[in-house]
Amino acid sequence: MIKNYIKIAWRNLLKSKLYSFVNILGLTIGLTIGMLILLWVQDEMSFDTFHSKVNTIYRVNGVTGSGQGIKIWDNAQGPVATTALREIPGVRNAVRISHGWNSIYTYKDKLLKEENTGYTDPSFFVMFDFRLIKGSKTKPFPTDQSVIITESTAKRYFGDDEPVGKVIQQDHETNFTVSGVIADFPDNSSIKFDMLFPINIIARQYNASNFWKSLDTDWGNYGYSTFFDIKPGTSLQQVCDHLINAQKKVAPWIKVSPGNGYRLQPMSDIHFYQADGSSGSLQTVKTFLIVGIITLLIACINYVNLSTARAMLRAKEVSIRKIIGAQRRQLFAQFIIESVVFFCVSLFLAFGLLYILMPYYNDVSGKHLQLDMLNADLWKVVAVTFVGTLAISSIYPSLLLSSFEPLKALKGKLTMGIGQAAFRKILVTTQFVFSVTLIIVTVVIGKQLKFIREKDPGYDRSQVFSFRTGQLGEHLDAVKAKLKSVPGIRAVTSSDNKLVDNGRATGGVDWDGKPTDMMFIMHHFGIDENFMPVMNIKLKAGKNFSGSKADATHFILNETAIAMTGIKDPIGKRFKYQETEGTIIGVVKDFNAASFKQNIDPAVIYYQPYGYKLYIKTTGKDAAQAIAACKQLWDKYNSGFPFEYRFMDEEYDALYKTDQRSGVLFNIFSAVAIVISCLGLFGLATYTAQIMMKEIGIRKVLGASVGGIIALVSKDFLKLVVLAIVIASPIAWWAINKWLEEFVFRIDVGSSVFLISGAIAIGIAVLTISFQTIRAATANPVKSLRSE
Amino acid sequence: MIKITNLEKFYRTEEVETIALNKLSMEVKKGEFVAIMGPSGCGKSTLLNILGLLDDPDAGSYLFNDIEVADFNERKRADLRKHNIGFVFQSFNLIDELTVFENVELPLIYTGVAAADRVKKVEAVLDKMQIMHRRNHYPQQLSGGQQQRVAIARAVVNTPKIILADEPTGNLDSSNGNDVMELLTDLNEQGTTIIMVTHSEHDARYSHRIIRLLDGQTVVENIMI
Ligand SMILES: Nc1ncnc2c1ncn2[C@@H]1O[C@H](COP(=O)(O)OP(=O)(O)OP(=O)(O)O)[C@@H](O)[C@H]1O
Ligand SMILES: [Mg+2]
Repeated sequence: MIKNYIKIAWRNLLKSKLYSFVNILGLTIGLTIGMLILLWVQDEMSFDTFHSKVNTIYRVNGVTGSGQGIKIWDNAQGPVATTALREIPGVRNAVRISHGWNSIYTYKDKLLKEENTGYTDPSFFVMFDFRLIKGSKTKPFPTDQSVIITESTAKRYFGDDEPVGKVIQQDHETNFTVSGVIADFPDNSSIKFDMLFPINIIARQYNASNFWKSLDTDWGNYGYSTFFDIKPGTSLQQVCDHLINAQKKVAPWIKVSPGNGYRLQPMSDIHFYQADGSSGSLQTVKTFLIVGIITLLIACINYVNLSTARAMLRAKEVSIRKIIGAQRRQLFAQFIIESVVFFCVSLFLAFGLLYILMPYYNDVSGKHLQLDMLNADLWKVVAVTFVGTLAISSIYPSLLLSSFEPLKALKGKLTMGIGQAAFRKILVTTQFVFSVTLIIVTVVIGKQLKFIREKDPGYDRSQVFSFRTGQLGEHLDAVKAKLKSVPGIRAVTSSDNKLVDNGRATGGVDWDGKPTDMMFIMHHFGIDENFMPVMNIKLKAGKNFSGSKADATHFILNETAIAMTGIKDPIGKRFKYQETEGTIIGVVKDFNAASFKQNIDPAVIYYQPYGYKLYIKTTGKDAAQAIAACKQLWDKYNSGFPFEYRFMDEEYDALYKTDQRSGVLFNIFSAVAIVISCLGLFGLATYTAQIMMKEIGIRKVLGASVGGIIALVSKDFLKLVVLAIVIASPIAWWAINKWLEEFVFRIDVGSSVFLISGAIAIGIAVLTISFQTIRAATANPVKSLRSE
Repeated sequence: MIKITNLEKFYRTEEVETIALNKLSMEVKKGEFVAIMGPSGCGKSTLLNILGLLDDPDAGSYLFNDIEVADFNERKRADLRKHNIGFVFQSFNLIDELTVFENVELPLIYTGVAAADRVKKVEAVLDKMQIMHRRNHYPQQLSGGQQQRVAIARAVVNTPKIILADEPTGNLDSSNGNDVMELLTDLNEQGTTIIMVTHSEHDARYSHRIIRLLDGQTVVENIMI
């Protein structure tokens, strides 16, 4: 019986070529995109879940500052881990991880720069499930000069040679012996390094004459990603309370504002939520999940629409089968199997498409997804997509088809009842509601991304590149003087902090009138006197540094700092930064040292003529010459180290890389969803034209014009599209506002966006329908009448 | 075999109510060949459809093999139908997407006959209808007479107890029509009960008995000698 069904399904598929083509094309594209998106979502959802202890591991997030300036860091101080292990019973294990500096490493003739290194506790290898291929889990670092490297790092240095026991040299001075090899960190891991050093190296840098005597008592430096493995049932609040109390006891001079302390964030959350609870990648995952489901729904609606439209043409077959003795459930099964055949063909094609598209998709999405046919996760996605869409698409048409009453259908009395026509109209409208919403959202996302990319951040980054001074720092005055005379270099300046994406902040500030229990967190920049003119940062009041001795105690604050501290008439007022007592000499207009997603933070600028970062403003056309001159100087003082520079424009674009990426993906997905809707519309228009053939013929014989006929056929569809625009607008309005919430600086969404999107939708619809209507309208009426 | 008593059927549309069958009573015995005649619109097809369990009456009794079936639901009717009744229509009503063989095979599939038996049965009946050489053709590739023979083959492949034919020669020329009538007569002689609607007195002469209808009521019954 099933064989018979499949045979007929296959013949039907081959017989109505246009119908099959439109249907299969829509399904194939829908399934492909749906699976691509779901694979992406699945990959995101799998973040960090490969740790067997994922449910008991928490990251410790430190909380500082007060009031508006409250900050939740994604890390904590050194003693947090050791204190917890020593004093808190429920904490079974603790790991600290600190990022290393960028250094170069040499082995024989190999010289490589490593940007992704870390220091960590030995417990790292026990608490997490990263696979240690060689070396000891319990004693990973036999000495402080040990290093554990990933498999691919080992390849880079030693090729196929045995890495363990080899010695690599850091920055031409310190030797490290490879004591173990760890498998490359999975793509879906929040923790990723190429080299891991023992944290003891950091601990050794403390000595008794420092203010902070040791790493394990330094409650001042939030520099360690700290993870706890906590016994289930332990009160997390008590763990946090214990920690803050320990800090109060050991370092009572640190001001603790209400709300300060620690928060424990489950490991499974850290990919989705930032430390402060704002959404990390969750927002994108949700957005794409919705778009993926919508794409699949649109494809399903297509299928339902086309197969119910075609049902009329199959009424006779159904009747005969019933008269001969088919029962309703047998017919139902037959039509379900027909859908299955359609879906299988589409799925097969979708796999082919998936295979072709995967590299491009990985490129755009920044993932490393693979079509591994043996991977159960892939089949999970395939099964969910396939069964879900199949169920949605096949049940209604099969019910409808199998419910035909044999006598009526045979007599040709079966007209699609008003109910079914209405149902199809609802489906088309729904499809267009989705499409129009996607068009509107796409337009808005594009506008917003353009807006933040082009918005003036308050400084001029054009034609400026920067590099670290290294040993040049010892001769900075001479170097600056020399560079200034190079043709192609317009100006030279230095600072001790990044201007683009400055992440550093301090609580060590004071001013007259600061509440005693207030912890106030500020960004800080140390710059020379040329920095502000070169970057075109505008003064609002007071003056810039002059380069004199007195500048050592001069401070410049930004507008936000003035507003938040509440300092009145700031020029000449007292201000204290770290240990330096000084006065405020100027106020700068706010500039954005982070992305436009964030508010501008308060910032203090102090005089630092010997910052480690040199900024070179070039004339533009002679930039190459300027770079060459810098490299020459670099090589003179930093021989053996590679010269690396970066244009600020690149750094700036990197701020929005993930957003740009999501934007591109979103564009693609919406375009595809719209194309599928159009396929559906095209199919329906074809049927309508077919069914109206006779009417059109009669009207033409009676003298109707081609234009009049096109209007007649298109009118109904266009009404639906307009209705869809009306319904979609508020939905899109809600969606874009939700999305824009993520940005502090955002565009105003005016009615023009809706008008433009509506026009686009109508345009697309007209274009799609006109293929068929024009053909129907221009057909020879004699012919169409005869064929009826 | 068939006994109906005071059978009624109405068609209601928005404006008018048509009485298609008006307290109709009749009986058909096992092995009979009965022709039903009457002017257009008198209710012949309606009657045949009810007898064939495609439609249900609004009132009255219908005993099929002494079982009251007037109030059967669709599922039960379908079940009874597929084991006992074969249909032949004026417009053949073959499924265009299936070959001759597959069209004839279909009733066997629905009654759950095993594949090997199906081939045997279908081939036997195609042989008898002399269209074996066309087994792999599609209906559009056949002449009207050939299509009607396929339709009859399909009606009898399940060896039904009764065959209902609604103007089986209506779309055929007289020579093809006679062939069809010979086939029906043969079937009847082998024991199948046949009820046939026709407008042709010539065709009606093949039957044992003619029931004439007018406005949904029996007017005359002629017994053929
Ligand atoms: N589905 C229906 N809805 C309304 N009226 C119907 C329907 N089917 C049949 N009728 C009416 O019932 C009456 C009997 O129709 P029926 O088809 O049984 O006639 P018939 O004797 O078979 O005619 P013909 O010889 O033309 O085939 C007619 O008046 C017809 O108009
Ligand atoms: Mg009739």
